[in-house]
Order: sequence, then structure tokens, then C-alpha cells
Amino acid sequence: MSTDWKKDWKKIARANGLAIPDAALERIAQSLDTLEADFRPLMRALPPETEPALAFRAELSHDRKGVEDLA
Amino acid sequence: MTLLEAAAALRRREISSAELTAAALQRIERLNPSTNAMQTVMADAAREQAKQADEELARGEDRGPLHGIPVAVKDLFSTKGVRTTGGSSLFADHVPDHDAAVVESLCAGGAVLVGKTGMHELAYGITSSNPHFGAIRNPWDRDRIPGGSSGGSAAAVAAGMVSMAMGSDTGGSIRIPASFCGVVGLKPTYGRVSRYGTMPLGFSLDHMGPLTRSVRDAGAVLNIIAGYDPRDDTSSRRPVENYVPDIEPTIRGLRIGLPENFYFERLDPDVDAAVRAAFHAAESHGAEIVPLRVPDIAALNTVARVILLAEASALLEPHLEQRDRFGPDVLALLDQGRLLPATDYINAQRLRRAMQRQFADLWSRVDCLFTPTTPITAPRIGETATTIGGQSQDVRLATTRLVRAINALGLPAVSVPCGADRRGLPIGLQIVGQPFAEALILRVAQALVPAEVPVPRL
Repeated sequence: MSTDWKKDWKKIARANGLAIPDAALERIAQSLDTLEADFRPLMRALPPETEPALAFRAELSHDRKGVEDLA
Repeated sequence: MTLLEAAAALRRREISSAELTAAALQRIERLNPSTNAMQTVMADAAREQAKQADEELARGEDRGPLHGIPVAVKDLFSTKGVRTTGGSSLFADHVPDHDAAVVESLCAGGAVLVGKTGMHELAYGITSSNPHFGAIRNPWDRDRIPGGSSGGSAAAVAAGMVSMAMGSDTGGSIRIPASFCGVVGLKPTYGRVSRYGTMPLGFSLDHMGPLTRSVRDAGAVLNIIAGYDPRDDTSSRRPVENYVPDIEPTIRGLRIGLPENFYFERLDPDVDAAVRAAFHAAESHGAEIVPLRVPDIAALNTVARVILLAEASALLEPHLEQRDRFGPDVLALLDQGRLLPATDYINAQRLRRAMQRQFADLWSRVDCLFTPTTPITAPRIGETATTIGGQSQDVRLATTRLVRAINALGLPAVSVPCGADRRGLPIGLQIVGQPFAEALILRVAQALVPAEVPVPRL
């Protein structure tokens, strides 16, 4: 599946202040374009209530262990 | 000799740990020049550990099946006082002041650490052709890669230097080299084995596990290294089991999933035939083969790639101004990760959650899945493209295609040898289970795999 537009990786790199040489950007552009084309359509089907598979816990793990041990 | 066979011989006093260790060091000395499997050899410390193990065993102090057995760990496991490079020139002189949790467990179990195995630079690739420490070579054919990134661990086990070497797996890095080198490679469930003290690559994808010459050995090692560790925030509190299967286990009545989509597309014909033969073997042991369609693995691979690109680049960002310190393949991946927006990473983690739910439904229909581990056997060193079914494919993408998604799902999976191609190169069968089903997938593997896997004559 393809997108109807392509990102300009050189401009993105410059805008983000990344010191990536143009030659290196040219070598990776196709991989990034392919990844974009594969990834972008997947997001369209993503339900808004789906939370990321990342978990932040307010207590540190050693604190949690103490609490659980006491329990 | 397998790890458990050596352990039994030790207890029968037929051999000593000192003799086992001397034999391992001799084999390393003879075969390392042609394989480059070992990056650091710890001969003096190993001899001292072996002497201590013999003395303890003589006193009746038995620390379990690893006591007195020579082993190795990939060079991303921190070892106190011993250089730990992660296969990178950035860390060429890095000497940790602590042991990784896995190393602690192995040492507490009395294992004799003979060395650190070589790897793909920063564990970020599948060739193990390391630009800083040299190419690691496959013991079956030294013109071919061993796979990676745990290439040194697989090569060391296949070459008989050690009966067990630890590896890590972020996108197939235990299972791919196990497949290419014809050994057993176990990636446990995410959270089953502590990541504390290991050099990370993708925080939410990294798994630690053993490479061995038998299925039972893999279970014996998991018995030692599994369990809760408060120093790893993702470590699971789920109780550990006995992971060593019976010598002749039954798999009668188990439901084995045969994927009708994705996993048998674009395979080398020899790989296809060998893996299909494994289904027949399982059926002959009384298992039920259940054809089924699996969720969108290609999409999951894409999601896993976005997550890994972002996590690895975030991790190594402080070093990326030193561009000449990286090999070209790793640098290209790190550059790609820097160009992804944060929103892509978050959305990839949201997609991962959604796909995890889709995949969970599958476990009501089957107990495990059989797939090929890799669609091809070991490519030649330097080969960047391979032809399958008349189509040219990038070697890295082809090699990770059947294993990467399993990391995103955090599922346990084991690669076991299931035959050889027309050139005699090993073929790997991947057995995937639901979370924390390590004991089940090892039982299935044990029913199908010889007591000791075939190894090259060296």
C-alpha cells in the first residue's frame, strides 16, 4: 500500500537539527518511505480508546516490593 | 555431551569440573581462530571456579545441574571486572562493577564462566559480521554467517566449546542464530528472565535466554535464571515452574496450530518441507494439527520495527555524534530511528496493544504454533540479498520476518533443529506458546528433537 505523499527526510533532519549527512539520508530514504507506507494505514484503524503498551507506575519497583511483601 | 549429561557424569565422578573446563578451553583455543565465536576468554578465572566446584561437590555441596559446567554469556551481559563491549567500539574498554542478574544466577548455580561470546554490533543486526571485532563464522560452513545478534553464542554451542551460552533476543537474535547453527534457542516470555545488567537495545522488546545442544538443557538453564527481580521493572512475579521436560514426554491430544497465512509464504523449498515434516512427526505422536489463520503478522512486524527503531535510537542518541564509531548497517538503522516522530512510537505501542488482544484469541483454539524460524538457511558472509521463489529479498528483512512479531507480543518461543537443506545446513522450527507457556513448548520440542542435536564434525 502506498501513501499519496512522501516526507522530505532531508528537511526533517535539518529541522530537527540532526547532523546526518545527505548521502546517509539518501541511503535510508527508501527504507523510511517503505516503513511509512506500511505503517500509516495501520493507524487509521486504531480505536481512540486503545492505550499504548507502556506502563508507568507511580511507585518505584523497590517501593512496590515493600508494599507487596507487607501485604 | 549435553549440559545435563555432563552434570550426571560429574556426580558419578567420571569426570571433574576441572577436566570439563580444560576441555572447553582447549576446544576454544583450537576452534576460535576459525569461528571467532568467543570475544573474551576467561581461562584463569574459569580454572579457579572449576577447582572450587570440584571441592564443593566433593564435600557434598551440590548447587544443582549447572554446578561445575563450563558456560559462556553474550558480551552484553555485565560481568564484574570483565570487559563487556556489547560488540561496540564505544564500549571497547567498558569494565562493569557488577554482574548482570543472569550472570549472578548462573554463578550462584555453580556454573563455570569460560568466556564472553561475540555478537552483532550493539545486538542490532542478524549477521554477527562485527566491524570492530571481526566476523563470526558458522561452524557448519565457515563462509557463512551464524546469524545474530547472538551469533557467537550459537557458534560456540554448535562448535562444542560450551554446552550452553546465553543470548538476547530483541527481534529474533536468539532464534535466528539457533536456526542457522542448528542448536536450541529459547526466548522466554517478556518479564520471565531479568534484564538487569544487560546492555539494552529495545527496552520493551529485549528478552534473555539460553542456546543449548538439547531441549532439556534449555529447560535446566531456565530453571536457574527465571524469576522475579525487583531491579527489572518489567520482571514478572508469576511463580516459576520446572521447565525440564521428561526424556520421553507425551504430546498426545495437544493442539498444534498450522498457520494457513503468512508463515509459509516465500520460503526456501527445503525449509518448507522440513517444517511440514515436523507437523507430521507431531501428529504421529498423537498431537492434533489445527489449521488456522493468524492475525496480521506483517502489520505486527511493521509495528515492531517502528518500536525498535525509536527505542534503539533514543538509547544511543548521546553517542550519535561519533558517527565513525558505528558500522554502516547499525548507523543506518540509528539514523532512521531519529527521523521517526514521537507520535509514531506512541501509536506503534497502541497498535501493539490492539494486536496483542487479537492474538490472545488464538490460544483458545491451539496450545502452540509451529512455524519456520527463518525462511532460508544461513547465507554467505557479505550477502545482503537472497533469492526465494525467484524474488530478491533483503537478507535482514527476510531473516527477521518470521520471528520479529513474537517479540512485540512478548510470547515464549523456541527454535529447534528440524532437518537440513540440500547443502547440509541446519533448518529451524519455531514453536510459539502463549505467555508463560515455556514448559509446554519445551515439552513439545523435546518430543520431536533428538536427545542431543546433530553438530558439525570439527
